[in-house]
Amino acid sequence: MPQPAQPNTERPIIVARNIDKRFGAFHALRNVSASFSEGQVTAIVGPSGSGKSTFLRTLNRLEKHDSGSIVVDGIELNDDLKHLDTIRREVGMVFQSFNLFSHLTILRNITLAPMRVRKMSRADAEAKALALLERVGLKNQAHKYPVQLSGGQQQRVAIARALAMDPKVLLFDEPTSALDPEMVNEVLTVMRELAHTGITMLVVTHEMGFAKEVADRVIFFDEGAILEDTTPQAFFTNPDHERAQAFLAQVRHGF
Amino acid sequence: MNWISRHPGWTMVAAMLGLLAFLWGLAIPLSAAPAPIGPAAEQFAEGARITVWLTLIAGSAGIVLGVLGGMGKLSKFRPLKWLCDFYVWLIRGTPLLLQILFVWLVVPTILPESIQLSDFACAAIALSLNIGAYNTECVRAGILAVPHGQVEAARALGLSPLQTFMDVILPQSMRVALPALANNLASLVKDSSLAYAISVVELTMVGYRIQAESYQPIPVFLTIATIYLILTTAFTTLTSALEAQLQTGQKR
Repeated sequence: MPQPAQPNTERPIIVARNIDKRFGAFHALRNVSASFSEGQVTAIVGPSGSGKSTFLRTLNRLEKHDSGSIVVDGIELNDDLKHLDTIRREVGMVFQSFNLFSHLTILRNITLAPMRVRKMSRADAEAKALALLERVGLKNQAHKYPVQLSGGQQQRVAIARALAMDPKVLLFDEPTSALDPEMVNEVLTVMRELAHTGITMLVVTHEMGFAKEVADRVIFFDEGAILEDTTPQAFFTNPDHERAQAFLAQVRHGF
Repeated sequence: MNWISRHPGWTMVAAMLGLLAFLWGLAIPLSAAPAPIGPAAEQFAEGARITVWLTLIAGSAGIVLGVLGGMGKLSKFRPLKWLCDFYVWLIRGTPLLLQILFVWLVVPTILPESIQLSDFACAAIALSLNIGAYNTECVRAGILAVPHGQVEAARALGLSPLQTFMDVILPQSMRVALPALANNLASLVKDSSLAYAISVVELTMVGYRIQAESYQPIPVFLTIATIYLILTTAFTTLTSALEAQLQTGQKR
């Protein structure tokens, strides 16, 4: 097992041990272990089908792991629905395809979970939503519907929606992969600002520029296992494994 | 149609008011008509009111049954799924007329003596069960049409399965299910005529009696057909407006 880049002197907020996951005959995750400390920004990279998204999705149980243990903020992730609800409140997620609720306005998209789950009053939830929309530069779009917004704007709303629950951890599942090239930057800008606020971020991404510049740590997945777990600098200049070198050679053509 | 989609709220109000005004005032223009219609104006109006009542009661109960059935058919809990499958299989596989007769003959024998079910109540129960089975399939199709990402987003935000269903899945599935549900409602307006078999005096029964007395079936049935047309128009206007209302936020 490669050593994490930073010594985890801080409290680990997510600890995953020996995770295995199969989809039928396909072995998606092979004995994956990793822990993430509070405030850390981790970029998770690797070729398609390497298990990086599956790993991210096991962390809030959108995928159930077959064996191993995942502990989030001291709570074991298992079939106990109470544990699951508690964990999902602390762990926000941003999806590749945004997944904004299409029948609700932007404002209602953001206020829904705080009102239903945190039992916030409508007035408080709306004030908070508007403040978050201002932060992602979309305050004037509050009363539109998702379909009326561009992809980049929708993804910024999705980030605001996740932040409205005050999560300790934000999971990003290829947040810019479904965007037109000219919209990638507006989303990365928001994520860059977030990275400096001290929130724990796990970002599955193909944006090597972002990984290099913003992340504290890079994890490289290949064939369901973690091959490299190191600093961005070490990963991009001198990766240990041939597979990582080959991957970098492939993606370098892009920028 | 354009006006309807631009002002769905007003259209719904207008359709409801129109329907009420029609039911209240129907006897007035009819009484001016020559025999055999004129003298029986009050009977036609009363028959139309019964038809509308049956439609509204069975239509509303049918929506509830349809949502429950649609959820049940998609349930992971096997016995519940089987129960809902059986319900739809039974109702879709037998004639509505038989179902009405069956409820009328069998339900009073099951109920305790103290509860007396009127013919009207029996008809309403049978019609509710019937449209509920057809609605079940429409709601199921609607639920299946909601993209899985919407569910994942709701669950990832910490919403419970019930909250996810009520706040996200159900409203979105209705957008898909509504045209088919409206279709069933339009059928129900006319299917309610089968209640004549258990002597509920609804619109068709009224027509049948009057033509039997007057030996003039053609003007009587033309009148009845016209009243049915006006009723279905009111109901379909209502559902189109509802559809337009639910279209907000949908890709055009």
